[in-house]
Amino acid sequence: MLDQNIAAEVLACAVKTGGDFAEIFMEDAVNHGITLRSGVIESANTSRRHGAGIRVLSGTQAVYVYTNDTSRQGLMDCAAKAAAAVKGGAGCSLIPFAAVDYARPGEIAVDPMTVKAALKAEKLRAANAAAHSVSDEIIQVMGTYRDSVQHVLIANTEGVFATDIRTETRLACQAVASNGTENQIGFEGPGARMGFEFFDSRINPEEIAKAAAQSAVTMLHAPLCPAGTMPVCIDNGFGGVIFHEACGHSLEATSVSYGLSEFTGKLGQQIAAPCVTAIDDGTLMNEWGSLHVDDEGMPTQRNVLIQDGILTGYMIDKLGGRRMNMAPTGSGRRQGYTHAPTSRMTNTYIAAGSDDEDDMIATMGDGLYAKKMGGGSVDPATGEFNFAVSEGYLVKGGKIVHPVRGASLIGRGSEVLMKIDRVGKNMRMGQGVCGSVSGSVNTNVGQPMIRVSSLVVGGGK
Amino acid sequence: MDINLFIDRLFEKAKEEQFEAAEVWVGESEAFSVKCIEGSIDDYKVSRSGGLGLRALVNGKMGYASTQAYDDDAIMQLIDGVRESAELNESPEQDEIYAGDSEYPTIKKDATDIFTVTPEEKIAAAERMDAAVLTCDSRITKTKGSVVSTGTGRTLLRNTYGLCLEDSAAYCVAYTGAVAPRGDSVVSAYDMGCGLSFGELDPEQIARNAVRRTIDQLDAAPVSAGEYRIIFEREAMCDLLQTFCGIFSAENAQRKLSLLQGKEGEKIASDAVTLVDDPLMKGGYATSAFDAEGSAARTKAVIENGVLKTLLHSRKTARIQGVETTGNASRAGYASPITVAPTNFYFKPGEKTLDGLQQQMGDGLVILEISGLHAGANAVSGDFSLLAKGYAVKDGKRTHAVEQITIAGNFYRVLENIREVGSDLLFPGSGIGSPSVDVGTLVVSA
Repeated sequence: MLDQNIAAEVLACAVKTGGDFAEIFMEDAVNHGITLRSGVIESANTSRRHGAGIRVLSGTQAVYVYTNDTSRQGLMDCAAKAAAAVKGGAGCSLIPFAAVDYARPGEIAVDPMTVKAALKAEKLRAANAAAHSVSDEIIQVMGTYRDSVQHVLIANTEGVFATDIRTETRLACQAVASNGTENQIGFEGPGARMGFEFFDSRINPEEIAKAAAQSAVTMLHAPLCPAGTMPVCIDNGFGGVIFHEACGHSLEATSVSYGLSEFTGKLGQQIAAPCVTAIDDGTLMNEWGSLHVDDEGMPTQRNVLIQDGILTGYMIDKLGGRRMNMAPTGSGRRQGYTHAPTSRMTNTYIAAGSDDEDDMIATMGDGLYAKKMGGGSVDPATGEFNFAVSEGYLVKGGKIVHPVRGASLIGRGSEVLMKIDRVGKNMRMGQGVCGSVSGSVNTNVGQPMIRVSSLVVGGGK
Repeated sequence: MDINLFIDRLFEKAKEEQFEAAEVWVGESEAFSVKCIEGSIDDYKVSRSGGLGLRALVNGKMGYASTQAYDDDAIMQLIDGVRESAELNESPEQDEIYAGDSEYPTIKKDATDIFTVTPEEKIAAAERMDAAVLTCDSRITKTKGSVVSTGTGRTLLRNTYGLCLEDSAAYCVAYTGAVAPRGDSVVSAYDMGCGLSFGELDPEQIARNAVRRTIDQLDAAPVSAGEYRIIFEREAMCDLLQTFCGIFSAENAQRKLSLLQGKEGEKIASDAVTLVDDPLMKGGYATSAFDAEGSAARTKAVIENGVLKTLLHSRKTARIQGVETTGNASRAGYASPITVAPTNFYFKPGEKTLDGLQQQMGDGLVILEISGLHAGANAVSGDFSLLAKGYAVKDGKRTHAVEQITIAGNFYRVLENIREVGSDLLFPGSGIGSPSVDVGTLVVSA
C-alpha cells in the first residue's frame, strides 16, 4: 500500500517542528450496498474510499490532516501542513519499522468482492418475501445488504508498520406494519466480520425478516406504554445497549481523561452491583466489533472494565493514555481516514450471571419487560442516558400481560449500574453502529437478561 | 488529472459504451477545526477531500458509482460500476437524467471572510471562548473544550446534455460546553454559534450562553408524572422538525413511510401552522439555485394555515404522481443516491416572543433540550418518547429547572394541536428552522 521509505520520509517531515510522535493511517476500502424496497431492488452502489490521515502529537496536543492524494507529494504536503501547526515540543527520532501483517486470510471463507451482485440481491428477495408472509398488515419492507473490504496501513514513529484487511457483511431488514392510520416498524440488522459465508453459517435472511415483521405487527396492536418509575427486565442481545450508553461511553478515555466522566478517578471502587461484570473484547473471532489491530496499530485485547461491581479498567487510546498517564488498551478506533482515532468500544457486554430468566420476570411484580431495544445516547459528563424500547411488554404481578409501544428508558449511568439486581445466564450480542468523536464504527453490545430494580419509563399514557 | 478533463473523458467513454445519458456530481470540501481546552490546543484538524458520483442510464435503468481518484483506472471502474448497478436495478419507475431548465434564479450571497481568516485568528477565538467559560461565573469548574471550525465546499453538476451548474458554500461554527458541580453530581450544557461569515461569531457570547444554560440547571426540582402544557423552545423545536421532516417527502409517502400520502389539500395541522421550504432565502444554510437533479429551485409553502399544500418532490416522485417537481431532489454526498429533502425549511413565525407564549400558557413546561432523537423518535409512526430538559412555568413565570423527564407524543398529533407559533425564528446551523412553539398538552414521565 505504501513504500516503507516514503512512510519514513513522511513521518520525519511530520515531526520536524518538534512533534514527539507522528502516525500515518492509510486506507483503501470498497463497499457494496444494495437496497430493496417495495419488493424490488431499488438501488445498488459500489463505492471506493481512498485516502490517508497524518497525525502529529506534541505532548497532549494533537494535529490531524487528511487527504485523498496518497502520492508521495500528497502525503508530504499533508505532513508539512500538520508540522506547521505544531508549536514546538520534545521532537523524536524514527524507530526503524518492524512490519507486521495482521491479516488472517483463513478467517474469511468467501471474499464478498468475488460474489456476484445478483447473488447478494437474492438474500434481500428472500427476506422481503418472508416479511410479507407474516401478515397482510406489512405494507413496506426495506432490506439493505452491505459488505465492505477495508485495507489499512498504520505506520508511526515508534516503529509500527501494521497492515490488515477488514471484511464485514451485514443484512438489515425494516418492516412497516400499518392499519391505514398508524404505522409501526420492526427492525433486525445482524452483521459480522465475515464474508458471504455469513449467510451459510451465521444467519438466515428469512428468519431475520420474519422477526422484524412480527415485531412491527405486535407493536401495531399494542397500546401506549404507561409512564412512570418501575422495575424493568431488559432482554439479552441488543438489550446490551443499556450498558453501552449508560456506562460504556463514560469508560472511554475520550471522556475520562478530561475529567468529564462520572467514573473519572473511580478505579478500584464499587460502581455497580456485585452481580455485574463487564468486558470489552476486540479479539472475538468474526464478531462485528472485532479488530485484529486497532486504528493506532496496536493489537486489540480483552479488557475487563468491571469485575463483580468493582471498576477495573477504562478503554484507552494513545492520546487519552498520555493525558491519563496510563497505557493504551487497543481501543483506538476511527470511521476512516477522515477521522483522527480516539478511544472506542469494540464488543462490549455484561458477562453471564446465575439467575434464571423466567424467575426474574416472575419475581419482579409490576413493571416493564423490554424484549427489544432501539438505540440511545448519553452525556458522559452527567451520566444522563436515554434509550428507546422497540418492543416492550407490561408485566403485572410477575406475569407478562400485553405488549406496549412507545416506551423509552432514562436515568443516570452510575445509578442504574447499582440498581441491577439480577443477571441471567444466557449472554447474547447484537450489532450496532456507534457514532462518536471519531465517526461511526461497528460495535457489538451484549448481555444476558438483566433486571433493574427501578427506572424511569417514558411512555405516552 | 484535471476534474473537467476527467469528466470530458468519462462522458466520451460513456458514449462509446452507448449509455443513453450520464451525469456527474462532484463535491469538494475543505475544513479546519481547532479545539482548545484549559489553555492549550487539544485538537487541530485540516482536511481537503472530495469525490465524484456518476449516474447514468443504461438500457433505461439508472446506475450509480463513485470515486475519490481521478485517473484512467477510475474511468473504467465508474463505467463498470454503473453498468453493474443499472443491471441490478429493478425499479419499475422510469428514471431520467434531466437536461436542465432554461433559466435559474440568481442568488445574491454576502461576501464571506471564511476564505481569508487565518488559523491563528481561529485559535485565538477558541482560546477566548474557553477562557470565558471559566471566568464568567465562579460556579463553573470545568469546560468541555471549545471548538472553532470553518468549512468551504464546492459542487459541480454536469451532464451529457451540456448542463453545467456550479455552487459554493462556506460556513463557520463555534461551540463550547460548561460543567458545574451540584451535590455529588454535575450539570453541564453546551452552546453553539454559527454563521456564513467568521465575523458573525461572538465567542464570548457563546461562552456566556453555555454558562447560563449550565447554571440554570442548578435549581432543578422534580416534577410529577402526568399531562402538561408544553412549549418547545426554538432549538428543541428545530430538533423535532429535523427528526420528522421526512414525513413531507413524496418519496417516503410513495413508499408508504409517511402517513401524509394522498393528504394534499387536506387539513393536517392547526390554523397556526405554516411551513415553508425556501431554497432562495438570502443567507440560508441550504440556499442554492438548483437541486441535485438540476431543476431550478423555487420557494413554496408545504403547509399553509394548516392545509397540506404539497409534499416535497424530485422529478422522479413528481412524475409518479403526475405533478411538477418542487426542486427538492437532494444528495447527501457525491457517493449517495438522489433522494428528496427540504432546503431552508421552517415554521413561519407568529407574533409572540417566548415570554409572551409563556404568559399565555400560564402553567406548564418549557422544553429547552431533547435527546435521544435517533432512537426515541420513530419517523415512520410519528411517535416520540424523549429525554428532555427545561423549566417549569407557573402563572407565566419560570419557577425551577426540570430534568430527567421524558416527553412523549406523536408528531402528527403535535401538528394538529399547535396552539401558537412564536416570533423568534432561528436556524441553528442548518436549513431547518423554527421559532418557539406552544404545542398544547403532552405526557411527561419522571
